[in-house]
Amino acid sequence: MPEDKEAENKEAAVKKRLSRRDFLVTGGAVVAVDALIATTPAKAVAAPPLPAAAGATYPESKGYLLYDSKKCASCTTCMLSCSLVHYGVQSLSRSRIQIMQDAWGKFPYDVRMAPCRQCVTPVCVQNCPVGAAYVDTANGNVRRIDSQKCIGCQTCLKMCPQQPHRPVWVVIDGVGKSSKCDLCIDTPFWNEKGGPGGKQACVESCPMMAIKFVAQTPDQKETEGYDVNLRNDHWLNLGLVDNSTVVPKMDLAWKVGGGEQQ
Amino acid sequence: MTGGYTGKILRVNLTTKAISTIDTAKYEEFGGGHGIGSAVFFDLVGDQLPFEAFDPRNLIIMMASPFSGTFMPGSGRCEVQGLGPMLYPIEWFGHSNFGGRFTAQLKFAGWDGIVVEGASSEPVWINIVNDKVTIESAKGIWGMDTWDTQEEISRRVIPSLRYGEWAELAENCHTTQTPAVVCCGPAGENKSRLGCLLHGPGSQAALCGFGGVFGSKKLKAISAIGSKDVPIADPKAFMDARLWFRQFQWNVDNPREAERFGKGGPYALISGRPSGGNVLNREIPLTPARAAACASCPRGCRMRLATGDSNDSVCAGTMVINVNGSTKFTRQGNDLMQKYGLGHWQLMPLMSYVQTLYKEGVLGKGKQIDTDLPLDQAGTFAYAEALMRQISLRQGIGNDLAEGCARFAEKIGRYQKDVSSGTLPLVYYGTANHYDPVVEAEWGYSSLLGERDLMLHMMSNYPIHWMAWSGDPYLTAEETAKLYTDAMEPYQGDVFMVDHSDGPTGIYSDSKVKQVAWIKHYEKFWIGAGGFCGWRWPMCITNNTADRRGPTPKAEPRFWNAVTGKNLTFADYMEIGHKIYTLDRSIWVLQGRHRDMEKYPDFVYDRPTRGSDMTMYVDGKWKFDTGQGRKLDRAKVEDFKTRFYKFEGYNAENGYPTRETLEKMNLKKVADLLKSKNKLG
Repeated sequence: MPEDKEAENKEAAVKKRLSRRDFLVTGGAVVAVDALIATTPAKAVAAPPLPAAAGATYPESKGYLLYDSKKCASCTTCMLSCSLVHYGVQSLSRSRIQIMQDAWGKFPYDVRMAPCRQCVTPVCVQNCPVGAAYVDTANGNVRRIDSQKCIGCQTCLKMCPQQPHRPVWVVIDGVGKSSKCDLCIDTPFWNEKGGPGGKQACVESCPMMAIKFVAQTPDQKETEGYDVNLRNDHWLNLGLVDNSTVVPKMDLAWKVGGGEQQ
Repeated sequence: MTGGYTGKILRVNLTTKAISTIDTAKYEEFGGGHGIGSAVFFDLVGDQLPFEAFDPRNLIIMMASPFSGTFMPGSGRCEVQGLGPMLYPIEWFGHSNFGGRFTAQLKFAGWDGIVVEGASSEPVWINIVNDKVTIESAKGIWGMDTWDTQEEISRRVIPSLRYGEWAELAENCHTTQTPAVVCCGPAGENKSRLGCLLHGPGSQAALCGFGGVFGSKKLKAISAIGSKDVPIADPKAFMDARLWFRQFQWNVDNPREAERFGKGGPYALISGRPSGGNVLNREIPLTPARAAACASCPRGCRMRLATGDSNDSVCAGTMVINVNGSTKFTRQGNDLMQKYGLGHWQLMPLMSYVQTLYKEGVLGKGKQIDTDLPLDQAGTFAYAEALMRQISLRQGIGNDLAEGCARFAEKIGRYQKDVSSGTLPLVYYGTANHYDPVVEAEWGYSSLLGERDLMLHMMSNYPIHWMAWSGDPYLTAEETAKLYTDAMEPYQGDVFMVDHSDGPTGIYSDSKVKQVAWIKHYEKFWIGAGGFCGWRWPMCITNNTADRRGPTPKAEPRFWNAVTGKNLTFADYMEIGHKIYTLDRSIWVLQGRHRDMEKYPDFVYDRPTRGSDMTMYVDGKWKFDTGQGRKLDRAKVEDFKTRFYKFEGYNAENGYPTRETLEKMNLKKVADLLKSKNKLG
């Protein structure tokens, strides 16, 4: 993918975040949600809309997923683990963590990791018209979506300031619903306990150990607080650097030779 | 069919433009991948054999496995089958496979595989978006290189596609993924027998010349993308198995392995060190890069670089073109090979042969074989570019070279002489020599008794040869023999299966017969039907565990049963591998195979070997040794073959499968067809 396209995408992403944030700050959320509900199918608006809680504060989540997009090998094992433990199937589309790759791209822009940020200001929760998106105070304040309550209005998808949006559109019993990362609180297809204090399928299965659970709230600015360096000193022994001025101490200059080895 | 399968195989006839489906359940007894592919090939065209690879009757079969689209470690390959125009002297029913994420997307689209038959009159490509399948015009794409083709097709599949955003394939069908495209390049379009299939920037199906078959069908590409589920019979057991498997992976945060790798490259291959497959980023200063993986692979043997070149290419994909003094142009030269769609494992010996003929004074400007190639500029980008362009576009001498090594040599009247002498070392049906068949005898036998070079390094090659060759083996030869053969169910306990001496228990022994049978059965079921990567499986021993035991043979059935809901043992599945091998062999027999054809060229027997580090049992003791100076004994090889045929249930006089063997495998119809052709063993 050309570099200019990369830059264009980045710019578009920044614009998107800014415009939505500005929109919320100016109190436009109520208007926006009302307008959205007015255009959704009759079945979807059967439940009375609750007032959006713009400006409300919520207790911070006691768990977050950090990741290292330079360490990720884009194998998508995390995505398939996610869909397996939650739904009992293998699916990239159902996964609540999304890994995207442009195999022709230039490192590190060839891979994007997109787990839910468990935002301090959870826009999905703020804007859900029926309270299906909520803060689970009984389980470490994790931001969750109750698919039973979800009316399929897609407000959470559209209001999420991240690109791609972290709530995931899934079909359950033939009906489209929103879902999102619950830090593996509800994993009927896994023998482990999840949630804060428990295990997360993506963290456990990632062969590159490029996803990490932490209890501390990351810096909420852009991606820096979440996309962190999870490589230790031994990483250099792979011969992988993110800066060509770094010189591993080991001898990498071995050559294939002798016999008929190719 | 409870898990792993989507239940249907896509069937596309390019002549009639008919699109239909085949029920996967009909072929479930063959497992998946290669097994189902062989059975479908036999059913659709077996009775019409022999015919040529570029005949519209030839099929391109691309099968996924029950593991495709799942997180089964190292199962991201796509098996391609059909008559292979690269193979010689007969275009055998062959197989090649490539990594990446094509089969994963095929499964997510709801398909267990694709069967393409017939030939289009105009260039086309096949567009698969979930259940919707269309044959599209390739106008504007035909003539493009493989990279531009994939980019253009991705745009046509999802016009609103933006990297890093959700796309809606249809109502309620969302994905952040891009279409997975496999295509031929200009080489394939021009029916070059070197033509590969390429997916992504560097995932080649390099052997057999299937790019040329695409070209003969006027088929430029197949694109797949989907948003569906792959069902799993026992999700909890599957998750538990995946987490159990972590102990066998290379631990990127583990200093022990880092220290081990510091001793040299061989351990990268044994232990599964990430990123080690690209040999073009080892000089300091290193280019910033990541380890990149095929779908679901915990190894990630590839790289993606800050320069964006040689992305996803490994091994021969980074070693064919060498531009003296420039890593940059070496990478770009190898990328050019990928763009033209030239199979690396045939281009490599062909380039070497061209230089040999040039140095002999036979080939060059105004020479007996006249060409305007700048042969005096070998080692430059300009030379590599000119050579690859001429082959791909069939310009000048490229028209002859595009016929592949064997047919080019035949055309200039030197095949017999140069292959017999080893000047052109085509050892396995037109494919090049690889590991030493005189010492790593199982590699040679397994190739000779197949249809092309074995290309399965995780058989005893990486784990034993490379460990010994490193000079710092982590096991003694005796420990290696014990642990390695412990894993080789159902023949476990016979340590002499890995004796590479030429003594009574060595390379001509009954133990070696069992090892070769084990390799063929594993190749056909786990590698072929399971979509496994030959760089990851089998894992009989490993330096990633304290006891040095690998996950084989526990892991394979544990994963397969969890996914499919079956309850079979490793040995049960190996017997299905035996069945698939027997079916393949029957197809080769229908094409003209006879045991008399299963012979090495003279140089393999007559030239003393340079040797190859392996485990050997000599004078009552195990040791690592090379066998340097050894010659292969023709009579003993023939005797070995006789015992192998009998072991497998074939007629030792001709190598044909017998009715008894075929009927025991529920292959009565195969026996009947062989009988009708007077080729039943």
